[in-house]
Amino acid sequence: MSADLTLILPEIVLALYAMGALIGAVYTGKDALARPLIWSTAAVLAVVAFWVAFSSGDGSAFDGMIVKDGFARFAQVTILLSAAIVLVIGQDYMARNAMLKFEYPLLITLSVIGMMVMVSSGNLLTIYMGLELQSLALYVVASMRRDSVRSTEAGLKYFVLGALSSGLLLYGISLTYGYAGTLSFAGVIGAAGDEAPLGLLFGLVFMIAGFAFKVSAAPFHMWTPDVYEGSPTPVTAFFATAPKVAAMAMFARVVHDAFGGVVSDWQQIVAFLSVVSMFLGAIAAIGQTDIKRLMAYSSIAHMGYALMGLAAGTAGGVEAMLLYMAIYVVMNIGTFAFILSMTRDGRDVTDIASLRLLSKSRPGAALALLVLMFSLAGVPPTLGFFAKYGVLQAAVDANLVWLAVLGVIASVIGAFYYLRIVFFMYFGEAEEPFAPEVAMPQMIALAGAAILMLALLPELLGLEPLAAGAAAALVN
Amino acid sequence: MADDGTDRRFLGGPAGWISILLPFGLFLWFAQHIPAVAGGAVLRWDVEWIPSLGVTLGILLDGLSLSFALLISGIGALVTLYSASYLGGHPHYVRFVCYLMAFMTGMLGLVLSDNLLALFVFWEVTTVSSYLLIGFNADEAKSRRNALQALVVTGTGGLAFLAGIVLIGTAAGTFSISAIEGSLADHALYLPIFWLVIAGAFSKSAQFPLHFWLPNAMAAPTPVSAYLHSATMVKGGVYLLARMNPSLGGTDLWFWTLAIAGGFTAVFASVLAIRQTDIKQVLAYTTLMALGTLVLFIGVGTDYALEAAMAFLLVHSFYKAALFLMIGVVDHGTGTRDATVLRGLGRAMPVTMLAAMLAAASMAGLPPLFGFVGKEFLYKAALGAPAMIWVTGCIFAASVLMFVAAGIAAWRPFTGPLAETPVEPHEGPWPMLAGPVLLSVLGLAFGLMPDWAEALVAPAATAVAGRPVEVDLYLFKEVNAAFVLSLVTFATGFVLYLLHGRLRSGLARFKPRFDPGWDRLMDGVAAGAAGLTGLIQTGRLRRYIFVTFLALGLSTAVAVWRAGLSPEIPPLDDLEVKHWSVLTFILAGALLTAFTNSRMTAVAALGVVGIGVALVFIIFGAPDVAITQLLVEVLQVVLVAVAMLKLPYLNHEYVKTVRGWDLLLAISIGAMTTVILLAVQAAPLDLELTAFFEEASAPLAFGRNIVNVILVDFRALDTFGEIAVVAVAALGAYALLKGVRRPSP
Amino acid sequence: MEFLVALMCGVMVAAAVYLMLARNVLRFLFGLILISNAANLLIFASGGLTPESPPLIEYGMDAPPEGVANALPQALVLTAIVIGFGLFAFALVLVYRAYQTMGTLDSDEMRLAEPEDRA
Repeated sequence: MSADLTLILPEIVLALYAMGALIGAVYTGKDALARPLIWSTAAVLAVVAFWVAFSSGDGSAFDGMIVKDGFARFAQVTILLSAAIVLVIGQDYMARNAMLKFEYPLLITLSVIGMMVMVSSGNLLTIYMGLELQSLALYVVASMRRDSVRSTEAGLKYFVLGALSSGLLLYGISLTYGYAGTLSFAGVIGAAGDEAPLGLLFGLVFMIAGFAFKVSAAPFHMWTPDVYEGSPTPVTAFFATAPKVAAMAMFARVVHDAFGGVVSDWQQIVAFLSVVSMFLGAIAAIGQTDIKRLMAYSSIAHMGYALMGLAAGTAGGVEAMLLYMAIYVVMNIGTFAFILSMTRDGRDVTDIASLRLLSKSRPGAALALLVLMFSLAGVPPTLGFFAKYGVLQAAVDANLVWLAVLGVIASVIGAFYYLRIVFFMYFGEAEEPFAPEVAMPQMIALAGAAILMLALLPELLGLEPLAAGAAAALVN
Repeated sequence: MADDGTDRRFLGGPAGWISILLPFGLFLWFAQHIPAVAGGAVLRWDVEWIPSLGVTLGILLDGLSLSFALLISGIGALVTLYSASYLGGHPHYVRFVCYLMAFMTGMLGLVLSDNLLALFVFWEVTTVSSYLLIGFNADEAKSRRNALQALVVTGTGGLAFLAGIVLIGTAAGTFSISAIEGSLADHALYLPIFWLVIAGAFSKSAQFPLHFWLPNAMAAPTPVSAYLHSATMVKGGVYLLARMNPSLGGTDLWFWTLAIAGGFTAVFASVLAIRQTDIKQVLAYTTLMALGTLVLFIGVGTDYALEAAMAFLLVHSFYKAALFLMIGVVDHGTGTRDATVLRGLGRAMPVTMLAAMLAAASMAGLPPLFGFVGKEFLYKAALGAPAMIWVTGCIFAASVLMFVAAGIAAWRPFTGPLAETPVEPHEGPWPMLAGPVLLSVLGLAFGLMPDWAEALVAPAATAVAGRPVEVDLYLFKEVNAAFVLSLVTFATGFVLYLLHGRLRSGLARFKPRFDPGWDRLMDGVAAGAAGLTGLIQTGRLRRYIFVTFLALGLSTAVAVWRAGLSPEIPPLDDLEVKHWSVLTFILAGALLTAFTNSRMTAVAALGVVGIGVALVFIIFGAPDVAITQLLVEVLQVVLVAVAMLKLPYLNHEYVKTVRGWDLLLAISIGAMTTVILLAVQAAPLDLELTAFFEEASAPLAFGRNIVNVILVDFRALDTFGEIAVVAVAALGAYALLKGVRRPSP
Repeated sequence: MEFLVALMCGVMVAAAVYLMLARNVLRFLFGLILISNAANLLIFASGGLTPESPPLIEYGMDAPPEGVANALPQALVLTAIVIGFGLFAFALVLVYRAYQTMGTLDSDEMRLAEPEDRA
């Protein structure tokens, strides 16, 4: 038992921290503590990230309910670090809009715990528990801006559709349970054998629908644009990063650990989700005028590419997917660091046209954003290109040439709208250039992300062997 | 431009010096390899880059890449020298130099890479940096639009090329160009590879019908036009075709595609060149002609044709870069580039005139210039080519018109009486003259001593052919068919030059309208995307739910179809009255709920359905479940009834209209449910776990109601989870109810 | 009888989906109740229908007689009913809250994110 607890010590520490901080904040009572709390939460998340990263020893706890392996570690570290950075870069925005409430960092911490459980579970029930913990916290942060009807609306839509998807997932789980007689992945994969019984097959379809909602893959993406736009920007930045990694990792874990024997049964569905997401994301983004909505469609398209890696159904595919997600998170953090700083006359602006002539007033920020946009578009020699290339290669290796070709076509369409942003920044016409103040934390995140995208170190920053190890842990 | 700029430092200051010395140093480095490569050596260096993707930064130096590398670095040095004077005082000069260096790096990488992926990376580097260079005069809307156009066309082509590369990797099993063995012509993937590579090459080298971006790209500053759009970037596509010739060439498809597109582009472009009045545009179209010629001859693919193509590559680079730089000097010195205005500049700009005349003579193909040597070889190759009539006809027409264009661009502006220009004509500064003079003198030198060029042309042609090619360049050997054809060309060209004014006004009526079409396409794409998004992302919750159900329904339908389900209706002989009555209960209740417009009726009907379900549970041996069901049903009805006190009535208008699509979707999903359930019921059930519970309940858990035992004993954790869910729901409900207040609108 | 149950499930699901696609959020709620009933019936029926023999063990016996109803789906359905009720209660409160905040139950009017004039 104590060995079990040792294994989940990072989660326990985080939970204790959240509770302790909650009690402390409630007793001292005031939101004045919010800013120090954000910093300390970010620090704790970062410390836990390093702890998880450098802890060794794989194992499983509670009869296989929790599995700690290379895959879980990779996903957890990505989640923890991105959550920490998003907290730091979002605080100026929160202060500007009188939203510095102590609940915010704590809810984020709680959802992070949920995500850590999601990516390291070895049992469908544990996954569901982690997912609900995460989702409940997210429902609340989405509607945090209480004075805004738009934020309330975002929260409502997110909840209704989220409940629908949780329902689908739950029915999928119960169908699986009904047929496999067990909820542990090891048991399910045994029950599925080489040819899944009908009931399991439908369970799988329902579960995939639920996962697709969580990773906002089309056609289950409907909530994404509205919620991205309606939520406070730091929350949007959070939505775009950690939960996406968690959901994608959870998706990979279920299809490989529980249904790894019947790859052909889910491969086509995942490939379909991938294609629809890539195209919908790319096409719908073209008409957008709001940069937050644009990022919503952008993330839908990117999830399509990550799903392409998953659709390959191989260790190489999972590796490509993990690398894709890691690079995606870095690009999004950098971009949102800038979006969070977009103000004019002290008010937040989010329309793309307001970026006009940024290159004149803030050449450094504009250049960094240019690199990020190229990377998001997948233009070489940025890392974004290699991320795309990796998943395309995985698809080709898995004999999904058609999927790879469609992916390339979608990326051509997708490049269009990223370049439109560059166009506005460099060649736009405006009476007076857009000159937002980019504070130090945001600037560091922005520039850091841009530099990472250009740093063509061998082995993709040393991530590549880690991802390979993680993928090997998942796919045997 | 910036000739009156305040910040004028010698050669543009440190940024300028670096930008000049760097390419010059590279040029020297490349030049020292000429003897080795001329001797037939192929030099290569390998650096691991991204081992996991198999990307090795292999540098391959053979005749082809060395020729290109020398052109890129050599002309690069002259162009940067020129820019230091042309743009030296520009406020964004440093930025310009950075873009230019980035471009040069990309271009060198493109021609030196042995790995296709690395080649593609550099390919895109040139695309992006040229986008920034074309749009350098960002204040002009036209310049921005044209930059974007160039980017979209070449970027799209580049991605097609990437797809081609992926397929080549699959077909050849390697991404290393030098490791591709033999021809891929017999491979199953040859066709897609061919068209994808062609799309990349044609977009980059502006072959018809992807040619329209190149003349527009001339919105760039003159040094950029000279460097990118004549000497280097646009030849990237030609380089690619030449490089892939051993692997993809030699088929009928290759020959006809390249011959037709190249030949047509050459003739079409030279006709359009005559039509222009802006000398820079004249040069832009003659560049297109040259690219067409190169593509045509690579397509022909005989030894002679490849030699001719490689020789012409050098010829063209010399005279065209010289002429572009020259027109920049003229523009700078007179304030205009209009061919109808400029006359008699020779006296005021003697050095420029010298360079212009030499370069134009080379372009016209007059002896004893290098252009003559090149043209002789083109004719010689054309006369020996398959489809001789087409190839020769194209090249003859193009050469004649080139003669005329040379006259318009370089003879007319410098001769005759001095015409009035916006600025008093004056000679340019030496850094701007160095390039054109050096290049045009080189054209003369190579013409007089064609043997010098053999050192490059021979290994280059060998590399393109993939087999050893003997090259013997000469100025004049004997009177043969090619020589006679040259004489005819000069005569025809001279006559047409005299008539060119009338020719131009005649041609002015003929306007190929690519640009409006392009703009409409771009607008259409944007509008279409917006329309599509509006259709899907309406902001209406029920539309979102509709899509979710639709997607779910479709994926289940696919699963049903893949599993090959065909529902079998089991025998209905065991039915009793109670079964029928339950059915009636449930059907009536469900339908009434769906279609009533009274809230109370709906709630009552829901209750009926609930009772019906409870009856099913009772009939099939599940009394516990039935009791729970009844309890919950009652609670639900009570809760709804209480809530209704605070909620508005249903809107009759909306309820009465039948929503056809919704109904269709609902019925499909319902039908699917029935089919799946029937199939599942027909399949054998795994009762192992049930058997375990049946056996273990009494001995292990001391319970006699197996359902209860499962809930509170074997699966107690689930039950605990269930309680937790109810608790969370209660907590959530409390939180929501606590803060209810209506915000002031 | 299997066929009749399958038919019932189908009709209930169809009616529920139709209700959930309605403009009025209250009708969405009715759909939610109906679909959870249908799902319960679905799980129950896919475990096999055995008339009138509850899974009970007689006193003095260690195992139930042959041919009793499948106990496992029954346990699942019991859990599902309770969870469904929890979900329903929460959703009802949410609808109430939405009406209080936005003054409407028409989901088509809840679309600040994509106002009519922009579509």
